[in-house]
Formats: sequence, C-alpha cells, structure tokens
Amino acid sequence: MKDFAPEMLSLRKPVEVMRLARMGAMMPTRLSFLRVLVRRLCAERASIAHTHWDMSPDGFGRAVYSVDLGGHTYSLVAISTDLPVDQRSDRVIATAWDAAFVLFDGIPERSDIDRIALQAPLQEAGRFGPRDLVLSRANKSVRMWDATVGALRNGTQPDPDAIRDIGYLMRTTAVYGNGKFGIADRHLICDRPGLDGPFAAEMLAVYMIRHFTLDLVQHVGGASLDPRLARHLGVGNATGLGMAPFLVTHPVLFNNWVLARETAFARVRACSDLTNTQHNRIAALAERAARHLREWHVPAPDHDAALRALEQDWAAFRPRLEALTGAQPLDTVWRAAENQSISLQELLISLLIEAFPEEVDSLADCMGDPFGPLTTSFAGTDALRRAIEIDWDWALSQDYDAPDACCRFWYVSAAKLEPRLGDRFAEDGAELETPLDIARRVAALHAALPAQDQRVSTFLEDHPEHAHACARVATLARYPYAEIRDNLIAATCRPIDMLRCKLSFFGASKFDPKSDLWTRITLAQGAPLGNELSPEADDWWLPVL
Amino acid sequence: MTERSWTEIQSLAVRAATGAQVPPAQALAFGAMLARHLADGGSEDPLSAALQAPDGVVTLAHKVETMIEQASLSPRIVTVCEADAGRRALLISWLASLPCQVEITASADKVRARLCLSEPSARARPTRVSIGSALSQQLQDLAARTYVPDSAASRRGGAGAGLMELD
Repeated sequence: MKDFAPEMLSLRKPVEVMRLARMGAMMPTRLSFLRVLVRRLCAERASIAHTHWDMSPDGFGRAVYSVDLGGHTYSLVAISTDLPVDQRSDRVIATAWDAAFVLFDGIPERSDIDRIALQAPLQEAGRFGPRDLVLSRANKSVRMWDATVGALRNGTQPDPDAIRDIGYLMRTTAVYGNGKFGIADRHLICDRPGLDGPFAAEMLAVYMIRHFTLDLVQHVGGASLDPRLARHLGVGNATGLGMAPFLVTHPVLFNNWVLARETAFARVRACSDLTNTQHNRIAALAERAARHLREWHVPAPDHDAALRALEQDWAAFRPRLEALTGAQPLDTVWRAAENQSISLQELLISLLIEAFPEEVDSLADCMGDPFGPLTTSFAGTDALRRAIEIDWDWALSQDYDAPDACCRFWYVSAAKLEPRLGDRFAEDGAELETPLDIARRVAALHAALPAQDQRVSTFLEDHPEHAHACARVATLARYPYAEIRDNLIAATCRPIDMLRCKLSFFGASKFDPKSDLWTRITLAQGAPLGNELSPEADDWWLPVL
Repeated sequence: MTERSWTEIQSLAVRAATGAQVPPAQALAFGAMLARHLADGGSEDPLSAALQAPDGVVTLAHKVETMIEQASLSPRIVTVCEADAGRRALLISWLASLPCQVEITASADKVRARLCLSEPSARARPTRVSIGSALSQQLQDLAARTYVPDSAASRRGGAGAGLMELD
C-alpha cells in the first residue's frame, strides 16, 4: 500500500455515473468485495481445511470447514440434504434447499453443529445467535452436478463446454448477514482484519461454499477434478428485487463504493509513461476480456444480442489499447471510448482498474460506512432550495403525476417480508408504498418550500412529511455519489440495473438476466482454489477456460 | 424478555413506526432511537406510549432536528425543554443514537447536548438487545400494517419466477 495519494484526474460527475443505464452495464473490478476478500486470503496464504466430514456416499450429511483470517478462525458449517426434485426452486419463498450453510465465528463444538443442523435448513424460520455470522442456502445445478458426478465416476472429467456454459455446481438463493434472524450484527465484526470491508463475511461464506461444492462433487464422484476445471466452477446465485432497495436505503455506503471506484479510475487515467510491463498487461487483459465475452452466452435473446454487440465493439476497439501513446495515454483511450457504448465504457473502466493494483488496491479500505450520514442542516429554506436546484435538477424536470412517471411502487410483501415492485394502476397496496420514490419526494419538497426564507426546522414543523426528502438533500450535498439519479417509480425503471450494479460491486460475473426483475450470476469463477491461496493467485478478473 | 440482534430490533422498530403512521425520516430515526434506548437499559413504557401517539414521535423528532440545526449554524451547547420524564428519556436516547458525537446532560425538565456533527459517534453497541414480549408484540402488530399481501402479479416478478430449477 502506498503512503501517499497518487496523482489523479478529476472524478467523473455523479450525473454521468449514477444513472440506471450505466449501473446496468457495470462489471466487476479488483475493488469488488469478493475479489478484495480473496486477495486478503491470498496475502495471508490462508488455507481451508475440513475439520468435520460426515457425508453419505450420495453426498448427504454435514461438513465443517475452517479458515484463519486476520487473526480469527471462521468455520463454514454445511448441511447437505436429499431434496425432492419438485421442491427445488430459486424463489425466496421456497422452504427447502439442497444445502444450507452457516458461517460460524470460531470452531464449532459438536453442540454448535447439532444446533446449526437443526436451524440452518429452516433458513428464515430458524433462529440464530451472535456466533453465527452468515446464513445461506443453495440448490444444485442438476445439469452440471449430474454431468460432473457422471464423468468422475466414469474416470473422466466433465465437459469444459458445460463448465463454460453453466459455471457452477450450486447456486445460492440468499446470503444473509448483519443481524438477520438473530445472526451477528455487522458492528460486532466490522473491526476485524479481513472482515472490515463491505459484505466481507458474506463473501467469505460464498468462497467457502464454493470450496464445499467442489469437495462434495468429488466425494460423490469418487475421483478428483482437474484443478483447471475446478477453478472455473464458481458459485451461482439467483438475485431478485430484494437486493435493489439496499442501494437506496444505504446512501452513504453506496457513495463510498462508487467514490472508491471513481477515484481508482481517475488515478489510473492520470498515469503517464507506461512501462513495457504495463503495456503488455493491458494488452493481455484486453485479450482475456475478448475471450470472456466469447464464452459468455445467455438464453435471453435480447441480452445475448447485447453481449454479441459488445463482443464486436470490443474487437474493434482493442487496437487502441495496443497503441497507447501521449502524455496520459489511458485518459486518451478513455476519451476515445466516450463515443462508444456504455457497456464498452464500463468494460474498459474495469480493465484499466485491473491493470494498476498499486494505484487502486488501497482504496478498498475506504468502501465501508461505519458511521452513517454525518450531515449538517441548511442555513435556511433558501439554501435548501439552492441545493436542490444544483444537485437535483434531474429530479425536478419530471411530471410525477404522469402515469408513466409514477407507474411503479415499491412495497414489502407479507409472505416473506421481501421487497417487491407493483403497478400502481393495476395492483393493490400503493398506500403502503416504501419511500424509495426519492426523486418525487425531493420535487415535492422543492415545490412546498416557502417564498420567504425561514429556518428549515420551522418549515418541517409544519411539513414533517418532507423531512425524508430534506435529509436526502443534506446527504447528497456531502456524499455526491449517494443517489441514483433516475426516477425509481417510472414505468421505465428496470430493477435489473440496480441489481447489476450491486452485484458487480460484489464481484459477480456472467450476468444472466431472466427478466427486468431478477438475474442469475456467477461468483468466484476463476478464483484460486482453497489450497492455492497465495499472492500471485490474485489474477482472475473475467476468467476464461 | 427475549434477546434479539440490534439490526432486528432497529428494523422492526422502523417498520412499526411506519405502521403507526410516522413519516419515513422520523420512523427511521425512531428505529435507531429504540434500539439505543433498549440497549442502554431504558424503560419500555415510554416507547410503547410513543407508538400509541405518533404525533409525539414527530414532535420528538422535530426537537432533535432543531438541536441539530442549532449546532449546524453555531457550534455550542443546545438545550431543549421536555417536562415529561418518559419523553425526556426518549429524547436522550434519540440524541445518543445519532451518528455523530453527542455529549448529553439532563436536568429536571431540560436536555442539553453538545453535538460534534462532523465527528462519528463512538458509542458501543451490545451483542444482543433484550426486549419484553409486550413491546415486541406491539412492534410486530404495527409493522404488519405495512406489509402488502402477495398477489399473483408480485409472485411472477421475484427471483426464480417461472423456472423449474433443473438447469
């Protein structure tokens, strides 16, 4: 880590970055949380060992894995069950899964394992304690699982094309942390080295689940996987609407994620006098990106067409990355990319960040939000109005009474207390709307402000309903990347864009959208295996097989 | 009494305040206050009373907003009057739940606070928060008012919708 701030160009403006269309094209970077976690494991040369293995020949039973990280020991307790085919569902409302997991603080005693074996399969209906750090569950990709077991039992290896196509043996459908269902609050572990970054405990659980799935399939198959193939098997995930509101309800945290990424990009663009090693690295990453795109296919025709277009655009753009010249050659190449598609721009940003670890990696330390919004009040309603007109002009330009501008409403479903999105004009429940309509609220606040300047507290005493918008304006004045600058209740709002953004920060790849509301992804594909964790292994951006 | 995580208590309290018709910003702050109040061993009675009189929650929130505004405009000790002992206890917890540093002193009918708005709070949070069954039930009942019953349309939209998972 450097002890000085590298040079940087100006940050991109929030109005350019914080748009749904751009968020919906984001790619994982070396600042993504899983990447940061694995880098830490690599730096510590950690190794994952199973301390308990009580599994039937068909792969049903219990296993416990332990790993040391930052001076603490963490254990994954895995419960594998025989799930009837008709109960295998990715829905959050499912009640049974192929496997359930708890990331445990320390090494569990037999009584802990027994308790977890009872509670973890219940998931949301279970009860957990402060040594349980993460709760998760997963279903098999039956096609990949059966093909892998069959190949191993026949003394062969699974088809690489199937691994490229599917990419995982199991797919998680929820990874719960931070106090849910009684598990440990984040504040209990957020000071620990290695778990101090956002979602670090969840990422550790995911990485260990991936390790478990590889062990389990080799146990059932009775033979070893080729490590090259095993490395390309990550963990799948099905993610729906439930994840999207987080970006709105955690504005400071979201700001810090984006600010770190934008700072990284501004630092990289400022680089001059590239070495031959750096030239070669960029060219090699550009080639890897091209191969990754070739291997990335999805069933949805429109999304696959977009990928094929990106593949072609990238092929046409790549020569620019092999002829980097000028005082700030990476800024020059970025200027050229500004005429290209948003998808290509986001791929290029991710690549450039990847190529410069020295300038970038320390920024991972700035991506948390241990405090919450540290804001001050406005001097008066005139100052509040000016702030709105400067930072929220995009929100003021819409007619929120128009059906298309207010068509959607966010709510929490009674069935599993999950966020959902409804049609205001076709479904019941709009009166219970969750306040994610930030743009509309700020516009309403602006319209309600008095002509004569007064204390904001005086205004809010008469209009307490505007306090939420007022707080968001104050937050954005200090945290410039805290708000998605789009109308989240418009008919055109695609939650999948919010999911793509959040999942890219997690480190997801191979996005496979199933609708505008949910997507499948792959995590940890290409990551070093549990016995390969060393500093030189931190090179798995956009993996290829 | 049952033991809950801080996040469980805070989230439930936000929902409950929302269900009691408290506006969003005040409900968010109320949730943080309630968790802080219980964690610090405060009485549950004023919490329960506040949820039955949501206008009182808005008034409390406004008192805190006013103190923050005064501290923003001119850093100094700010004072607010609150004669009712229960609401005064909630006011203290509310200030203690702010993300910034706050030094609080209370007298018979006043609460004084020095707010350092740019400095983060260093108040520790406990491993578990205890809550009585009556308050817990009250919170759950109020929170339930905010949930929307499932519909066919909502089920069609969630993750995994429309697929049998045999891929």
